Amino acid sequence: MPPRRVVLPLLLAVLVVCPFVLNPYLVFVISVVFIYTILALGLNLLLGFAGQFAFANAAFFGIGAYATALLKIHLGVSFWLGLPLGGLITAAIGVVVGLPALRLSGLYLAMATLAFAQLFQWLLIHWPSFTFGAGGIKVSHPGFGPSPFGYETNVYFLCLGVAVLAVFATWNIVRSRVGRAFVAIRDSEVAAQALGIDPARYKTVAFALSAFYAGIAGGLHSVLLNYVAPEGYSLFQMVIHFAMVVVGGLGSVTGSVLGAALMTALPEVLRTFKSAQEIAFGAILMLCIIFLPDGLYGVIRRRLAGWRETLHRAPAGPASAPAPAVVTPDAHP
Amino acid sequence: MFFFHLLTSGLSNGGLYALVALGLITIYRATLVVNFAHGEVFMLGAFFGYMFHVTLALPYPASLALAVASSLLLGMATERIAYRPLVRASTVSLVLASVGFSFVLKGFARVTWGGKGDYIPFPPIFSFPPLQVAGLIIVPQNLVILGGALAFMAVLWAFFRYTKLGKMMRATAENQRAAALVGIRIERVFAVTWGIGTCLGAVAGLLMAPVTLLYPDMGATLLIQAFASAILGGFGSMPGAILGGFIVGLVESFVGGYLGSQYITAAPFVIILAVLVVRPAGLLGTRAVVKV
Repeated sequence: MPPRRVVLPLLLAVLVVCPFVLNPYLVFVISVVFIYTILALGLNLLLGFAGQFAFANAAFFGIGAYATALLKIHLGVSFWLGLPLGGLITAAIGVVVGLPALRLSGLYLAMATLAFAQLFQWLLIHWPSFTFGAGGIKVSHPGFGPSPFGYETNVYFLCLGVAVLAVFATWNIVRSRVGRAFVAIRDSEVAAQALGIDPARYKTVAFALSAFYAGIAGGLHSVLLNYVAPEGYSLFQMVIHFAMVVVGGLGSVTGSVLGAALMTALPEVLRTFKSAQEIAFGAILMLCIIFLPDGLYGVIRRRLAGWRETLHRAPAGPASAPAPAVVTPDAHP
Repeated sequence: MFFFHLLTSGLSNGGLYALVALGLITIYRATLVVNFAHGEVFMLGAFFGYMFHVTLALPYPASLALAVASSLLLGMATERIAYRPLVRASTVSLVLASVGFSFVLKGFARVTWGGKGDYIPFPPIFSFPPLQVAGLIIVPQNLVILGGALAFMAVLWAFFRYTKLGKMMRATAENQRAAALVGIRIERVFAVTWGIGTCLGAVAGLLMAPVTLLYPDMGATLLIQAFASAILGGFGSMPGAILGGFIVGLVESFVGGYLGSQYITAAPFVIILAVLVVRPAGLLGTRAVVKV
């Protein structure tokens, strides 16, 4: 039996029990892990699978959070409708942000999206009549109907549910025609075109999908914290997102989940180091990149037989782990 | 008068942006690494100057020389510790590694020179009052910054043009394999390149230190302004970085003066977006798109 079939239900069972046995702080941290898992999956679709080096994920996260909160304040839309609407609004903005990607690649795309993300943050601060400025917005609790649990537990299960949904959705997307098109564009745009894949179309789809994930995560984040503020969606947030997918493993669903867990836990653990926490965080990041070129997923793939994701690509170069000897046909058409 | 004031402050800021952008480009041309820790190099340059000039009470020229020498060593150490193991890594990994390194440098500055929110003043080098020339007021430090920036650019130009090491660096940037074939030790050239690029950032920090307060997070904004300068000039072009630096400085200054100070922070982002959407090659760049 493949280990995946055993590990995943076990993990899910443990996570369902968690809010009833752990203290509120840990329940909160695990809820954050769920939200970051959604973010990491979305960014991995764009960066790890479609190979688009964009810096806008933190801004998409913020757009989702603000959209959900502002829909409620300005239009009275309830959270349950605001959350998917926020995701769709973010996806629409993602399509617009993705437009330069049709022309730019690599670092140029990174710079353009970075500038977009910073302008978004600037707008949040300098447009107080609409966004309520640097002070942020307090978000009211959404109702959970007949649920017998407390508010925090409800939010925990909501985040868990959406995260599980996101994992399965991503799993299916990357193995579908769309996912294979992403990988083909990532590995060679010219070859992809020769196979009849329209790069413009699939890049746009990748941006929209990844923005949708980030938007939903943002909406969840706003009710988890009951608060949205511009500094929550800064460049540091972007660094965390990048660290999740690179340390977890580019182009890997497992890696996204592991990266999200690690990058949520790390700052919490390092808090005890006080002034040295920045040094420790930066150093750990560098060590991971130097010594785990495939990310955490690479470690799992080597240790656990049968845990190989077909569309994962090992980084080029002799320094990295040797490429798998058997290449599945759909990975390299 | 107001116009003249904006012009001089724009030019002096522009000189700083140009220096920082030049450091970024020097490293990028030779190694194809965009150093996201370059803003922190700038910050450390200022703090090194503070350490030698204020803490150890050395005269300013000596502190300047020592701070530049320390930055040279820091740059070469950076290359050896952080980037040589990642020579063959992907762009994404390199960017993230340099971001990680920027955290280490920022943390180092915070541990050494005070906690979050601490702003350290740097004593002015010249205490004489603003000059008045033909009814126009000139702030001496602006002149010092502009003059210093131009002087360092001239030194850099002469270095690349006339010295053997400079020529070796240009050859390596042009074609690594060919450079290695004619006997240039490209690892050594990389180390020197990192050293010089770091120095350029640090010099900008040293020049700016007397007019601003020092704090560990001061590098982040300057990095963005340097990006804007480099992209405007054409990423990879050294004359472009200088031209772009001055334009970004002037735009910020005039936008701040005539539209309102809150627009200053948005200006570099608008410049980056506009250039990349309209003309990705920038003003003096040649290659439209770099494949990564």
